[in-house]
Amino acid sequence: MKGLVREVKINIGRLDRRHVQFILLLLTLILLVIGAGAPGAGGDFAG
Amino acid sequence: MILLYAILIGLPAGVLRAWSGGRRLTISALDRVWLVPAAVLPQLLVFHLPATKHVIPDVLAPATLVSSQILLLVFVAFNRKKPGFWILGLGLALNLVVILLNGGLMPVSPETVARLAPNAPINSWHIGERLGTGKDIVLTLDQTRLWFLSDRFLLPDGASTRAALSMGDFLIALGASWMLWSAGGNGDRLAYQSQRSWI
Repeated sequence: MKGLVREVKINIGRLDRRHVQFILLLLTLILLVIGAGAPGAGGDFAG
Repeated sequence: MILLYAILIGLPAGVLRAWSGGRRLTISALDRVWLVPAAVLPQLLVFHLPATKHVIPDVLAPATLVSSQILLLVFVAFNRKKPGFWILGLGLALNLVVILLNGGLMPVSPETVARLAPNAPINSWHIGERLGTGKDIVLTLDQTRLWFLSDRFLLPDGASTRAALSMGDFLIALGASWMLWSAGGNGDRLAYQSQRSWI
């Protein structure tokens, strides 16, 4: 587990600003689409 | 969540475009990004998260949806010059108009609901009431203001999921895809030997 955490930290450290910005913008776009759209879905019944 | 397919289509399209032109995938920075989580978090609680959407009373749904979409419209207005945003904003505005004119939820006709969920239990939905825990309200066409902007387009029968979409939803999906497609066309040219990433 410690090794996994260390590896994740190393990989995060390798992300440059461009990658972080891209991931954040992608997350923003996903949230924006979820919030802006209003499709009716079959799943709304079953919940 | 059906609209996320727009991102699943737009993202690889943008990557391919960047790759084919020897460019980086570049999305320009957005203004007032904090508005998006601030606007969408209440929606997630009321409409999406199973642990909360059954607990929060229906009466809060219209106010949540309207206030959230107004905030998103403000965000889109701040970023209107970015690729795809004007068309996404147009879709959002169309959705917001029809939602505002019909009591704060997106109208859907009984005929569309019957086709959307043909196996739904009897009495699981009623005209004039919210459709399950979603953003829709069941209204007949006579009761619906600007019915042509309501959720009236059904996905084809062979689709993996059933959903009813509005004209605004299509424009939102188009705008999101366009933004990602554009991201593949305006980046810096890669220095051939040294770059491996398209992002």
